Amino acid sequence: MTDVIVVGSGPGGLHAASRLVDAGVRVTLLDFGNRDDHYAPLIPRRPFSELRRSDPAQHRYLLGDRFEGIPFGPVRVGAQLTPPRMHILADAPERQPVDAPAFAASMSLARGGLGAGWSAGVFPFSDDELDGMGFRVADLQAHYDAVAERIGVAGNHDDLERFLPPSPSMMPALELDSNAEVVWQRYQRTRAALNARGFFLGQTRLAVCTRSHRGRGPYGYLDLDYWADPDRAVYRPQWTLDELLPATNFAYLDRRLVRRFTEGDGRVTVEAEHADSGATERHEARALVIAAGTFATARIVLRSLDRYDTAVPFVCNEYAYVPTLNLGMLGHPARDRRASLAQLTAMVQLEQPRRRVIQAQLFSYRSLLTFKLMKELPLPGRQALRILRVLMPNFAILGIHHEDRPAPGKTCVLRRGRDGAPDRLEISYRPTAEEQAVQRADERMLLRFFRSLGCIPLKAIRPGHGSSIHYAGTFPITPDDAPLTCDRDGRLRGTRAVYLADGSVFPWLPPKGLTFNIMANADRVGLQLARTLR
Amino acid sequence: MRARIVLSSAAVAPEGQADPAALEAHIFARYLVGRVPPPDLVERYHDASRAIWSAPAPPGEEALVAFVRRHPWAVGPLDAITSVLHPGGQLRSKILTMAAVLEASPAFADDFLPRSVSRAALAWQLVVGGAAASAQALLGLVLLPIARRARA
Repeated sequence: MTDVIVVGSGPGGLHAASRLVDAGVRVTLLDFGNRDDHYAPLIPRRPFSELRRSDPAQHRYLLGDRFEGIPFGPVRVGAQLTPPRMHILADAPERQPVDAPAFAASMSLARGGLGAGWSAGVFPFSDDELDGMGFRVADLQAHYDAVAERIGVAGNHDDLERFLPPSPSMMPALELDSNAEVVWQRYQRTRAALNARGFFLGQTRLAVCTRSHRGRGPYGYLDLDYWADPDRAVYRPQWTLDELLPATNFAYLDRRLVRRFTEGDGRVTVEAEHADSGATERHEARALVIAAGTFATARIVLRSLDRYDTAVPFVCNEYAYVPTLNLGMLGHPARDRRASLAQLTAMVQLEQPRRRVIQAQLFSYRSLLTFKLMKELPLPGRQALRILRVLMPNFAILGIHHEDRPAPGKTCVLRRGRDGAPDRLEISYRPTAEEQAVQRADERMLLRFFRSLGCIPLKAIRPGHGSSIHYAGTFPITPDDAPLTCDRDGRLRGTRAVYLADGSVFPWLPPKGLTFNIMANADRVGLQLARTLR
Repeated sequence: MRARIVLSSAAVAPEGQADPAALEAHIFARYLVGRVPPPDLVERYHDASRAIWSAPAPPGEEALVAFVRRHPWAVGPLDAITSVLHPGGQLRSKILTMAAVLEASPAFADDFLPRSVSRAALAWQLVVGGAAASAQALLGLVLLPIARRARA
């Protein structure tokens, strides 16, 4: 019997495990662990534009050996999941089936979980945004700092600091690309007036090593972010797994799909299926940390507690992206030395009717393929190609996340599989008309600010519910002693030693990326658990 | 002006092309970038077609593609009108598949990579491109019912 079993190698599981291992606790991590060994070795370490002009094998990883990189139909969730990244979502729909007619539920059985495709945005929550969890930023700050040191964070001391406190280990920010540089310069000229209206702009804080750090980086500006991780400069949870593997008090068991847990005699027993043999295994520990991803964790918890047919809440950031024409770029050459990650983050501070922020990130469209944009234009292919080639350097894409709070129309329910079929998770997501009206109004406000920065919106694209891939709130940390919630330490109420350390515990979602907060909270859960076990 | 160039550049089908997929590859490549694809890219388009369209298309869709195979000059107008009326149709999807195959090859990458131009050149490209697309769409509007009724 080990001390702690951790389920899942995503951002939550690995940062809980890391803290536990550092504290000398014996940890076994159970994981399915899909990874890409097929495409990654094919991708040369060369700048994207150079590779496009020189590599005769590029079609293999750009389009995929089964042409899985040529998508048709409407804009889908995960359009940025190129063939080398498609393993991130592989196997999950078959092994963890969901019924979600109007919701795209992305789940991962990959090493690193959904974090293997993380866009690397670092957005620590504020006190307002931790509302309802029973603790404040001061309680999380040491964990934000510890995680920032572990993963490597690059950022700037700019106007975002009023929303995102700097971390002591912050590295210099990435160089801006040509497109963002123009927007940034225009912001500098009108900064005082924009700030007075509540609009602030700064360089997106990113989990990227801009200098050598823990054997990773520095970032090479190869513009390969959607395709490969040649220098491991952009953080992926699997880099933390690589650091943990040599530890003598850490064991990694992959190809396991955890089904349920039971408690008794001062121990937790975890039942898992071996992915290859189909055999059922039992693993025992003094405590269990589940961080399989919000929906997979819901499946394990509801099955273990025999709470089939019980609706639990969940939340998900609604997402829209808006291609804009950056007028300031017209006639300016675009540099090839760049990153495909978010360049700038905009925050709008609102005070009425309640204090909150609206947030957007600015990207450029360079290293995804042109034919994918041709598909979106109501123009014949030949003209679409010619127009896009000259317009693309001038495109600035805004990605907008909206906050989300629990509501009666947002639930998931586990239904028992019949006749040996796997259990199915029913997901229902129906935001109210009022919520959607607020989102549209927020988008209009943001776009007005960006118009004043020379970015003319072309079209708002809404890939649909679930497209942010930010899911949370199924078993929230609350001060109230209610069933199917967690206490302040992340312990699932009604259990003795089962802890949750992924998105499940966040009761609502601010309009910011969740991943960095999952890591910090998992670090906190790991530390508390290590103290308890000691 | 641009429309005429498109029509003439794609007007001649390669001789002796019995394989429908190979014929499509030639027509679409000449339409998109004005050049003939090398055999390996024709083969790749063939493989992609097999992988993506394993089931037969609805008769009207297949008739449209067959019409283009018989009348390569019609690809521009029919692409223009289907991009507005039926953007998910098979003809357009096949053209985009050839675009993907061309784009992911060193010989054609420069035809797809972004290009910085002056404001005047950009404005000219937009005006000419828009005019050509409109002219082709008008011609396509006339051709579409004929092509849909033609034999597959």
